[in-house]
Amino acid sequence: MAEVFIKRDLPLVLIFIIGILVIIEFFFPHPALSAIKAELGTWTVVIANVSIFLGLFYMSYAQYRLLQRQKTLSGYVYFITPFVALCLFFIGAAFPGYTSSPQYQWLYQNIYRAQVAMYVSLPLFYCYYAAYRAFRIRSIEALALMLGGLLYTFRQIPLFTYLCPPLHPIGEWVLLVPNVAGGRGAVICVALASIVVGLRTLVGKEVTTIEVR
Amino acid sequence: MSMSEKTIWDKIAELDIRWIYLLTIILIVIPVVRPLGIPILVSEPVKDFYKTIDELPPGSVVAVSFRGSLGLLDEQEAQFIALWKILFQRDLKVIFYSPTADGEIILDMHLGKKVRPEDYGKKYGIDYVRLGYAPIGEPGEAAFALDIRSVFPTDYKGTPLDEIPMMKNINSWKDIDLLIFQYTSCTDVEIAIRQWVVPYNMPVLTMTLGCCGPMAAPYYPKMIKGFLSGSIAGAELEIIGGVPGPGAAMTDAKNLGIFGLIVSLILGNLAYWGRRLSKEGGE
Repeated sequence: MAEVFIKRDLPLVLIFIIGILVIIEFFFPHPALSAIKAELGTWTVVIANVSIFLGLFYMSYAQYRLLQRQKTLSGYVYFITPFVALCLFFIGAAFPGYTSSPQYQWLYQNIYRAQVAMYVSLPLFYCYYAAYRAFRIRSIEALALMLGGLLYTFRQIPLFTYLCPPLHPIGEWVLLVPNVAGGRGAVICVALASIVVGLRTLVGKEVTTIEVR
Repeated sequence: MSMSEKTIWDKIAELDIRWIYLLTIILIVIPVVRPLGIPILVSEPVKDFYKTIDELPPGSVVAVSFRGSLGLLDEQEAQFIALWKILFQRDLKVIFYSPTADGEIILDMHLGKKVRPEDYGKKYGIDYVRLGYAPIGEPGEAAFALDIRSVFPTDYKGTPLDEIPMMKNINSWKDIDLLIFQYTSCTDVEIAIRQWVVPYNMPVLTMTLGCCGPMAAPYYPKMIKGFLSGSIAGAELEIIGGVPGPGAAMTDAKNLGIFGLIVSLILGNLAYWGRRLSKEGGE
């Protein structure tokens, strides 16, 4: 009973009180309510900071579970790698200047940046592969999608706008007229759906909000 | 023709995609080795972006919410460097804060190295301030707007904001004249809309990746006064602001790299339609 109260009822009550407070502040921005909202925002930042350590704990636990399933040399390498990286960055940040220290900057530039840039660049090739294998103009909708995409892309590439100057205004028109019309419609739909989900959450009807149903 | 004999369409359909990858790499490298120097046209969102900053009265306070990503830096670095130069050229008070860890590292790389505020006669604490990194997310952005000190009680060096001359009378959104919101996750544009534009009617400019431009456009020009998307916008800002930088070289690399996509699209569809039409013709 107490467990259900802690895991289900208490979070719902807190969600309801805080949600209502924030909504009232939006419509009636009284200084007292604004102060409460600001304080709640600060708490959120504190929670977000603490959650970094929670993430570290979960990552460690997930790594440990993986190691239990694969106790091979590669398993131990996979297990140890993130912790070595973590220690390296902690050591880098321990030098004077902390995260601005040359040591930390070197690690960031030569390990992290290179790795993320590689990870971000690879989808370029997958895009080309997808365009080759999957982007078939089977219908008028697919043709419209491809034309819209290409016109916007061509606008972004100076070579095309140089060779064919009308591509620039056409691409801009695609971006600022049909895209805006469709985009605004989508945003309004999402906003209306968010209101429904928000109201369901406030009254405790949204089953995904809490752990115990 | 036997069943096993391949038509030209079958051969196109079964082309080893690695040839297109190789073509793309070669085409990307060519402009890097030998720049093409193709003229760049300035688009309306970039013109409005620049105009909004240019029309700020002297002494205005500009807050830069900097959610940079090192991995995506090549796509946006031209925007950043051009913007820093434009901001420091003017009589403005600039507050930088980073909701991402990478943002702070990029500011470390840029300010004082690639763009030296001292060269523009700007002093730390008088003309600009860096508040550092905090994983504030959207609620933190709301808290920042209401009370800067509740999120960043000190600057990135640990100096209390009350001891920084520039920050003495800057406490909340009421003391900020313009927000420049930089992000790399396309839907993050809505953070600026929800937490700055809707509640406070704050003038907002946004900077993002080329692929995120279409998601920023629905808010332009009423809610977002102007926006930069991709390296091309960085190059455009360099041109309109008269601040040469790396944008032209970055954009040059894109000029030919896109041909890989076009070739993929054409070949894929040629194979599809060729096979389909030849099958229908056979029947």
